[in-house]
Amino acid sequence: MSMLTSTLKNLFSRPDTIRYPKESTEIPTTNRGRVVWDMQRCIWCRLCERNCPTKAIVTDKERKTQTITRVRCIACRTCVDVCPVNIIKMESVYSQPGPEREVHVYGADMAPFEYRVESMPPSLRDASRLRKRDNDGTA
Amino acid sequence: MPNGFIVPYGPQHAAFLEPFNLRLTVEEEVVVGAELNFGYNHRGMEHALAQDYKRTQFLAERVCGICSYHHASVYCQTMETMYGVTISNRANLVRLIMMECQRLTSHLLALGHIAETIGYENLFMQFFREREGVMQLVNRISGGRVHYSMNAIGGLRKDVTYEQLMDVEATLDRLEPKFLELQRIVRKDITLRRRLRGVGLLTKKDAVDWCTVGPTSRGSGLPHDVRLTSYGGYGLEGIKFRPIYYEEGDCYARTMVRMDEVVQAVDLIRQALGQIRDGPYQVPVKGNPNGEAYGRVEAPRGELLYYVRANGTTMLDRIKLRTPALVNIPALTAMVPGCRFADVAVITVSVDPCVCCTDR
Repeated sequence: MSMLTSTLKNLFSRPDTIRYPKESTEIPTTNRGRVVWDMQRCIWCRLCERNCPTKAIVTDKERKTQTITRVRCIACRTCVDVCPVNIIKMESVYSQPGPEREVHVYGADMAPFEYRVESMPPSLRDASRLRKRDNDGTA
Repeated sequence: MPNGFIVPYGPQHAAFLEPFNLRLTVEEEVVVGAELNFGYNHRGMEHALAQDYKRTQFLAERVCGICSYHHASVYCQTMETMYGVTISNRANLVRLIMMECQRLTSHLLALGHIAETIGYENLFMQFFREREGVMQLVNRISGGRVHYSMNAIGGLRKDVTYEQLMDVEATLDRLEPKFLELQRIVRKDITLRRRLRGVGLLTKKDAVDWCTVGPTSRGSGLPHDVRLTSYGGYGLEGIKFRPIYYEEGDCYARTMVRMDEVVQAVDLIRQALGQIRDGPYQVPVKGNPNGEAYGRVEAPRGELLYYVRANGTTMLDRIKLRTPALVNIPALTAMVPGCRFADVAVITVSVDPCVCCTDR
């Protein structure tokens, strides 16, 4: 009997579920979706690379690029915190999953917060690279 | 067991969210014995956690998805004990608020799961609807729905704003009548009472013998709650609460403990919001950790204990975690004998098994 009033109330009220692909819930602006760089102002200090807990970031000073493996990134916001010139920010949207192993590359010659998609280089596919760096204690 | 059949229950079963195996000895409809098997979900977490102490927090958070913030908080609390620093009241109270928010999401999930297991889809939907409100609230405050990542050793990583605290209060004002309505339903509803009363009895003596913690022990009449030891924000002035416990020891008592704790969590968050003042949110800690320390918090499932040993370098020596589900799930072997086979699912779910925590 106690459930009956609640059931009747729910029967005549608007549904709480949403029709997902057509509409989405409101994602707050503070949401930790994905990390983006403004490489034009980067000072190449490599702090984001060294502090990343999952080693998802690779900084290439010669090519002037920042490479992030999205599937490794856990969106913890550490890189945003450590950046001394505040060029890293977190967008509230998530990156889309895809069928290929890809990395996102941010270059100094590109517009702020824009990236290009590249296939994952063989050096990043090698899992032993990550283990080796984990064990040397210099993280 | 000469006359019984052995029926395997799990590791893949509709009632379980995660894999573990029960080997039930049944005589006709009645279960006479049970044997537990674990290890389908083992990931070697304890070994992996003994790494760079700054990174450990993020991995500790990923031990479990429904008490993630408790894992991060207890790790930071342990490291603060090791460093010998006392964190500010503001950081303590923000941690308290987020821990209670996590307790809300976890308990509402457990209650919804119980309702779903007994076939009460309508009530299940209602629990999950209110849970979504809390999930969106913590997303607005911390930036993540599941992994809050708000802590740092020595306090918080980032201060919360006044608007965010107001948001917590406004959301709780909106959700509290709904929680009270759900509490009224759980108390009065005849379907729940018939399915849960007298099922899966765990006597007070058994609860002590099996070392149960959290809502499982409080459902058996033991007023055991780690929050009473006044860790973190729970020891501050103006934060008052009494542990909720029921004497019956059946599935219904455990369900009622969780339901009442949902309402209590709202009250605790309100008290913390009343006490929170401007101030520093982080105490700086210097150098690498050295020595050993342990810390414990009351996670949604019970006492969660971390032991950390460090050697003065960035890499930790050893981390040992004793999770609440690890001691609650084996108590099933004391609850199951004597029940009907159809009730095994609801008894299992009533201890809120979290195999991620157990196997880790």
